[in-house]
Amino acid sequence: MSLLDTRERKRASPTPPRAAAHPGLGQRIRAAKWSYLYLAPMAVLLLAFVVYPIFASFGYTFYRWNGIGAPGDYVGLANFRQILHDSIFWGAVGHTFVYAFVLVPVQLLLALALALVLNNPKLKFALFFRTVYFIPVVTSAAVVGVVIQLMLANFGDSAGSLLAKTGMTNGHIDWLGNPHTALAVIIAIGIWHTLGYNLVYFLAGLQTIPAELYEAAKLDGCGPVQSFFRITIPLLRQVGVVIVVLAFIGSFQVFDLVQVLTGGGPYFATEVVNTYIYHLAFGGSAGAAAEPDIGLASAASFLYGLLLIVFSALQVLALRGISRRRAAADQ
Amino acid sequence: MSTLSQRPRPRTRLSLRQGRRGLLYLALLGGGLIWLYPFLWALGSSLKSTDGFFSGGLNPIPSEFHWSNYSEAWTQADFSRFFVNTVLFATGTVIVTLLATSMAGYVLARTEFPGKKIWLGLVGVTLFLPHGYTIIPVFDLIQRLHLLNTLWSVVIVQSAGGMVFGTFLFMGYFTTIDRGLEDAARVDGANFHQIFWRIMLPLSGPMLATVGLFACINAWNSFFIPLVFTLSRPELHTLSVGMFNFIGQNSTAWTLVCAGSVITLLPIVLIFIVLQRFFINGLAGAVKQ
Repeated sequence: MSLLDTRERKRASPTPPRAAAHPGLGQRIRAAKWSYLYLAPMAVLLLAFVVYPIFASFGYTFYRWNGIGAPGDYVGLANFRQILHDSIFWGAVGHTFVYAFVLVPVQLLLALALALVLNNPKLKFALFFRTVYFIPVVTSAAVVGVVIQLMLANFGDSAGSLLAKTGMTNGHIDWLGNPHTALAVIIAIGIWHTLGYNLVYFLAGLQTIPAELYEAAKLDGCGPVQSFFRITIPLLRQVGVVIVVLAFIGSFQVFDLVQVLTGGGPYFATEVVNTYIYHLAFGGSAGAAAEPDIGLASAASFLYGLLLIVFSALQVLALRGISRRRAAADQ
Repeated sequence: MSTLSQRPRPRTRLSLRQGRRGLLYLALLGGGLIWLYPFLWALGSSLKSTDGFFSGGLNPIPSEFHWSNYSEAWTQADFSRFFVNTVLFATGTVIVTLLATSMAGYVLARTEFPGKKIWLGLVGVTLFLPHGYTIIPVFDLIQRLHLLNTLWSVVIVQSAGGMVFGTFLFMGYFTTIDRGLEDAARVDGANFHQIFWRIMLPLSGPMLATVGLFACINAWNSFFIPLVFTLSRPELHTLSVGMFNFIGQNSTAWTLVCAGSVITLLPIVLIFIVLQRFFINGLAGAVKQ
């Protein structure tokens, strides 16, 4: 019945015109002229500002170019060589990976725990609490960074003197000025700032799990811990994979927080790849060369892009493998 | 749980459970207070005097209210200009994003045309490519189009970044609308444009709100794009860039900085609280797909 229905509907719909047995390609294109016109604004914006730049940035990598006029000083692969031998670049890659690999697990565990609490139908004001914990997400990382910087300037001393009493330090701690603590502080702020996204994702995932499953498990004598591991976790798997991938993609592109909080310093201790590229291309870092070098920045971008593609592919493969093996084990 | 409920003395059990629930609320409330503490602190500190700011430390409550911080930030520190720029930038981005993605989402969902599948494939691939690092060619392109240091460049580049997400959301929405509606309109003599603008678009109100809100929040908070494209034109700076620059130049006017933060953060937080239904639904829908 429903199959017939859709088939009939398709036939009744005049776009595409299926009256002619097999209209030629040109004819079909002409018939769909309005479709192309309506698609055009989105297509032009996407091609010009997302697709084209991916290819174009590759072209710049062969030139020494300060970004003014047309690139003319061809240097071959020298830019790649220079980046590959730059310890600051590898340091930035390392910091970005540390940022991502600490932030993602901690943030996801916290978000999942909070989602489990807020998902309880008996909890009152769940919506209110969700709003509270989500608010940092909608605020500008740049401005939040400034506020927290100011707080730390005050808090640094209060917490510092507290630690001094326990004999751990000698008083003043410059949280963001100290190469040993700066990255940790940035990671903590990063966890706080975007946790709300994952909270909402997990809540959405939890709401797809039918409540009857838990009731049935309860009747079968399952405790809450058991039903968490036997029902919640397996059924969250699909959404979970998406959440993990999105969280990693987001953390690898960290820029605003670092730029505002430390600018990559002190002594490149918090330089992440995006701030490194920014400093190469537009200057502005204490240690970066005064003259902007778009070629070098593009080479760094390109290498990092390659690294991310490889990592994303590995990640998707690994996550798929895990969930497939688990699914097989469950059966 | 089930063994517990079989035990006698239900009254103590109940109060125990109530106590535990009370603790949970207390923990959630306390956690929430800590969670929002930076905002509360900024709000309080924006009203402190300069001395009060330093002596107050982490206490967010000002000893006296210095409303003049706001008027000073608004006029002398140019936050009025940054605010207007941000409103223009966000409005422009919302309009461009809504127009482009609703039209594209409609034709991709409801019409057939050669190349549709290829295009959808290409769009899908761009989702997985890291494109945060392509700012340099975009900069070059904007320069060649003679749009550098205009508000337009920021609007266009910002909108382009939201194309895929918005188009997919609209596509999903338009596929759910009953086809009979279009057919009936066509029988009544409505043409392609009338069907879209008079019937389909007005029907997609919730999705317009969702995509528009996303575009608005992302634009309002955008830092990198306005920073790069208006670097040398302070009169075009948005709130976040203006704030960044203000600190670079006035490293001591902290109460003004706090007032500026509140001017930047409060409007978008209020917009979110009022319209959060659309925002949360959009996110939840996107991750479930």
